[in-house]
Amino acid sequence: MSHDRARTDGPAPALELRGISKRYGPVVACDAVDLTVQRGEVHGLLGENGAGKSTLMKVLLGLVHADAGEILRDGARVEVHTPLQAAELGLGMVHQHFSLIEPLTVWENVALGEPGRVDRNTICADVEAVGARYGLAVDPTATVERLSAGERQRVELIKALRRDPKVLVLDEPTSVLTIAESAALFEVLRTAVAAEGRGVILISHKLAEITAATDVVSVLRRGRLAFHCRTADTSAPELARQMVGRDVSLRAEGAALGLVVTDDPAKHLTPVLAGGLGAVPAEPPAPEASADVPGTAALALHGLCVAGPDGRTLLDHLDLEVATGEIVALYGVEGNGQATLGDLLSGLMAPDAGEVRVDGRPVSLDRPGALHHAGVGVIPEDRHRSGVVLDMSVADNLVMTDLRRFSGRLLMRRAQIRAQAEELVERFAIRTPSVDAPLRTLSGGNQQRVVLARELSANPVVLVAAQPTHGLDVGAIEDMYARLREAAASGVAVLLISTELEEVMALASRIAVISSGRITGVLDVADASPQRLGMLVGGEAA
Amino acid sequence: MWLDDGGTVLASALRLTAPLAFAACGEYLAERAGTLNISVEGMMLSGAFGAVAVGSATGSPTVGLFAGALVGLLVALVHANLSHRIQINTFVVGLVINTLVLGLTSFLLQTAEFSRSQVSQVRIPVLADIPMIGVVFEQRWPFYLLLLVVPLTWFLVNRTRWGLELRAVGENPQAADVSGIKVNLRRRQAVLWCGLMSGLGGAYLSVGLVGSFNTNMTAGRGFIVIAAVIFGAWRLKGTLLGCFLFGAADALRLALPSLGVELNPQLLVAAPYLLALAVMVLMAKSQREPRALSKPFERGLV
Repeated sequence: MSHDRARTDGPAPALELRGISKRYGPVVACDAVDLTVQRGEVHGLLGENGAGKSTLMKVLLGLVHADAGEILRDGARVEVHTPLQAAELGLGMVHQHFSLIEPLTVWENVALGEPGRVDRNTICADVEAVGARYGLAVDPTATVERLSAGERQRVELIKALRRDPKVLVLDEPTSVLTIAESAALFEVLRTAVAAEGRGVILISHKLAEITAATDVVSVLRRGRLAFHCRTADTSAPELARQMVGRDVSLRAEGAALGLVVTDDPAKHLTPVLAGGLGAVPAEPPAPEASADVPGTAALALHGLCVAGPDGRTLLDHLDLEVATGEIVALYGVEGNGQATLGDLLSGLMAPDAGEVRVDGRPVSLDRPGALHHAGVGVIPEDRHRSGVVLDMSVADNLVMTDLRRFSGRLLMRRAQIRAQAEELVERFAIRTPSVDAPLRTLSGGNQQRVVLARELSANPVVLVAAQPTHGLDVGAIEDMYARLREAAASGVAVLLISTELEEVMALASRIAVISSGRITGVLDVADASPQRLGMLVGGEAA
Repeated sequence: MWLDDGGTVLASALRLTAPLAFAACGEYLAERAGTLNISVEGMMLSGAFGAVAVGSATGSPTVGLFAGALVGLLVALVHANLSHRIQINTFVVGLVINTLVLGLTSFLLQTAEFSRSQVSQVRIPVLADIPMIGVVFEQRWPFYLLLLVVPLTWFLVNRTRWGLELRAVGENPQAADVSGIKVNLRRRQAVLWCGLMSGLGGAYLSVGLVGSFNTNMTAGRGFIVIAAVIFGAWRLKGTLLGCFLFGAADALRLALPSLGVELNPQLLVAAPYLLALAVMVLMAKSQREPRALSKPFERGLV
């Protein structure tokens, strides 16, 4: 992509943010941030979780009011107090977590949030017209809940593009897409930018994506604009350093940042950008079924089937084995059954068919706590939902799953609980004012350490880690990686459920790919290339 | 002879369905916007009382009828602001309102003498002359308001932008907010519609069917309406069918003794409620419930 289009002078920029500041109580989310988007330019916005990207965009879209700063559209100062005003000013956004209402139809969703009459036929025609112009085919009368993640992304794009935005914001647009779907997305972006002169803000934490698809890049770090430059003049390692504020090694920590493990960061994305709509890499790799795991499998899943409440298949005869001392990653795009498997292994639901064996013994999944007693520890995907009780103390959270050990017939043994908690806090380097502090007061990384400490202190046979680094900062991610490796080295079978390719490549010895609730292939990490994994992720079982 | 009785029971069933149907139009709309509005009972009761009080004071039961609807709206205004502006738990608000209305109407009933007043009957020419089922077409006039209110409710929910936004708010308030919809405003508006309709239903019960007010005269009909919405799986057609089912059960309760059928009277009185309970057990797993039903929304909280 050419980077010579970025202009330094000429007409007023499509959008300019000046000195935007926003604080939530004592937390400064944005600190005097400046950002300029020219017409016909893709502006990459990079930053770690909590760096202020989302807040900045919420201010822009009128969802949050800034404490200070101003917004200029085509050089004129504007006020944005509601999303409706933002739309009138030509600011459109595609949200990271889809803003679609699932039980409604596509056309109803597209019409949502506009003033005026709803005219089904006009809107349906619009959806088809916009779809045809950008190559985003979708049936306007379909119900959104029946659509795949890629199709939903298309609906979001159509919803935004139909309003003819002059500046389009895309918040982590590829996080739930397959490689082919990402390729299609960037195709649309290129049309919108090059042919129609729109400005685009692309928010991402995937460096490869930023370096390949943007003209200009800005990096936010702890609410401040840390770095700004033409994309052509920088490199992925430089951006990573700016994002974190220090040098990062490209292997372990870099993986967490979306730095590609291979030596050439562009290689991973090449098919994405070279391939056209729906293109699949030509090379047809045959993943070897490496079922012959040495030793007995500590965790064996056989023919697990789960149907959702609406009859949709969530898990479809899933087979997977994890041996003692190995890290197996379950990799795939979000929403392909990982959450279901995580819930199942947490004992939150029973499968319709199939069995789970721990150390060769089948576990009855109907009884609550059966998996835990059999020696399965779980770091749940959403720790706030099923991992911890935020308003209880660190100590209580640390012993919660094993209360029998710390209580008599009637009463809890407080002293013993404290002693155990203090030991774990020490061993796992949990930063907390005291073991009596409510867990809510801890940072995300330390909360996650509490979960990890609790699960490992029960001496599990198997540790299931579902998205263990979601929402953590780099330091905490490094620590989590080290702990998981340590656990595996000490003989625990680790099942890592992750949607991050780089995380999977950095940690696992084998990678099982899940697509639509099925394992489409298992590769040894040495044989796994992004292309091969990409095909499996897309459901192309070889 | 038996067929004549059939017509009479059917007419009676429709009469008893009407107050439920009015309130159900309101409750259906409120629930689609995400409020499981249990104060529908209090709204009906206050509407019934307001209608009799104003009807007696003005001498016009018709004025009373519309006053009843407005009293229901007033109660809804309180509920809407407490639960969707200052975010008090909607069930707590509902419980308080129901208890308050019951006590207040019982008290006010003793403070004054209310004259009997009842709206007039309208006989649809030709149709009322049909043998056997002709009686169905001799109803108190507000009954025919249903022919306006039901299609209007359906149209509001399913064809207008307002209704689209209501449904969005009931399913996914976060997404609706991001799309630029004022979630709590829509929910308040939906509760107001519910108050208006429930007030009308209650007023129909007092100045339409009975002609006077007595203590706790709705006797749980509001809760039956909630059951009817569940029975109808949050669709208007099914909801009205549910109302008719309960109305028919009520009519049978009244008719059976005069038809010479001997049944335990307590059991008969309990029948509609038992039916409601059975319906809720059967429909407990319905997948069509609005996903954000009775989940409060506050901006910024995820």
